Amino acid sequence: MISVSHLTKRYGDVVAVNDVSFEVGKGEIVGFLGPNGAGKSTTLRILAGFLGQTRGSVRVCGHDVALDSLEARKSLGYMPESVPLYPEMRVIEYLAFRAEVKRVERKKRAHAVDSAMEKAGVADRATSLIGKLSKGYRQRVGLADALVGSPPLLILDEPTSGLDPNQIREVRKLLREIGKEHTVLLSTHILGEVESSCTRVLVIAKGKLVAEGSVDEIRRLRRSPAFMVVVRGEAAKAEATLAALEVFSKIVADTAGDVTTLRCTWKKKGVTIDESAEQAIAALVNASVPVRSAAPEQSRLEDVFAELTEEPEPVAASERPGRPS
Amino acid sequence: MSGFWPVLKRELFAFWVTPLAWVLISVFLIVQGLHFSVLVKNFSEMGAIESDQTPIQAFFGNTVLLYLVLFLLVPPMTMRLFAEERRSGTIESLLTAPVSAASVVLAKYAAALLTYGAMWAPTVLYVVILQRSGFVDWHVVGASYLGIGLVGAGYLSLGLFMSALTKSQFLALILTALVLLVLFILGIGEFVTRDGSTLHDVCAYISVWAQMNDFASGVVDSRRLFLDGTLIVLPLFLTVRVVESWRAE
Repeated sequence: MISVSHLTKRYGDVVAVNDVSFEVGKGEIVGFLGPNGAGKSTTLRILAGFLGQTRGSVRVCGHDVALDSLEARKSLGYMPESVPLYPEMRVIEYLAFRAEVKRVERKKRAHAVDSAMEKAGVADRATSLIGKLSKGYRQRVGLADALVGSPPLLILDEPTSGLDPNQIREVRKLLREIGKEHTVLLSTHILGEVESSCTRVLVIAKGKLVAEGSVDEIRRLRRSPAFMVVVRGEAAKAEATLAALEVFSKIVADTAGDVTTLRCTWKKKGVTIDESAEQAIAALVNASVPVRSAAPEQSRLEDVFAELTEEPEPVAASERPGRPS
Repeated sequence: MSGFWPVLKRELFAFWVTPLAWVLISVFLIVQGLHFSVLVKNFSEMGAIESDQTPIQAFFGNTVLLYLVLFLLVPPMTMRLFAEERRSGTIESLLTAPVSAASVVLAKYAAALLTYGAMWAPTVLYVVILQRSGFVDWHVVGASYLGIGLVGAGYLSLGLFMSALTKSQFLALILTALVLLVLFILGIGEFVTRDGSTLHDVCAYISVWAQMNDFASGVVDSRRLFLDGTLIVLPLFLTVRVVESWRAE
């Protein structure tokens, strides 16, 4: 469905996307993962035909986006990051306009609009003015917009940004539903998001593709960076006990009143996190330190990137880090 | 022409569903109505022999009021066409749909043009009123409306182009008003430059004042048509190029 080879985009001296190549096959839900400013939106905008590339070739559903832009655009539904909509229109009017712009046949238009509203869950707001909708509903109207006319490929730029946790859960559920019928490429900077809805992940950092693999493969990279322990009083004793285990490279204590939070960074090598966590808790209890809570810190995306970008030698596309070794 | 009709319909919708178009039309019709009633009153008091003009001529030509309303109306009509879409980001949805840049530009232009036509349409009633009490040369009326249509079409085209140059509606408004003002002042140059000089000829050629005087007397000069055509087509062409260039940005 998507074939990107050696894609480069420059803005003046800034290289936003640097020699990126990847493929997305039919029926996949691919997560495009990267921190803010990594080049995700730029890449998606090029795919959607909104921006031109500096170098490289991009094919969408068999059509080159530069040479055969109109055909390429016909075969995809795109939801831009900011979900731009016309506030003065009603939902159903807007979607009818989008259906016509996307050249859905006149006879099929009403049905296309209804089914997009149904799928995206905005049917109950069909006659509301878009300007009066909540952020969550606007996001869904954006999704309905991408879905209208049932294009084989959907490109969604941060579909859950700015939503509250309930709305995020709903949108993720929606994405899994949509993924049954459409090929989806979605971007996000949240690891949990790809884990919950994607079949495959592309990781981009500083404009370069740094990893590519199944969700499980990426998950494996998600090593907890530290052990967080909260104790009451006896901070020095707790610190000494933990240091004696020799599994932490650094321990930082933060005391507020009589409660101390210890952030213990795991040693890089030779430490099994689950086992060491058990040992640490046992040691604290044996030393009769009052422990309020103890848990491995969830790794953030930045840590995964740190992990990924540490590899000094360049790797071939077929053997990127993240593949099972 | 992929995407022309839906975009045209949406633009008309956007014009007419917001108060802007109604406010502009109200202002326009109030000014033009006053203008007309004052003219008719003057003419009826003067008697036929004293005047070498007809009310139609006076309404469309030889009056600064006409340009005043154009200055007031055209910039706010065109300012939002592209600037608003770029500011709010809707241009991204629009241009990622299978539409060509040319059809988007032409659709927006056509919407502005139709709205402009709708503003002038009620003024035909004035002519009908005149005809009830006297003789009206419909050729002159036709030439006058052609003139006003062409001048407006050129102005709207320039306004559309200005709207594509900036993300700020306000800046688009100011730029359009400035360009129209410069064009008008250059035309006025006809009266301040020496007869026979090149500058004088140029000024006379682009003078919208002189053009409306001609058209309002029933004189349709092909040189004027060519100038108007250029003022319509050139900005439209440039706008299409600007829209296409956004992809390369």
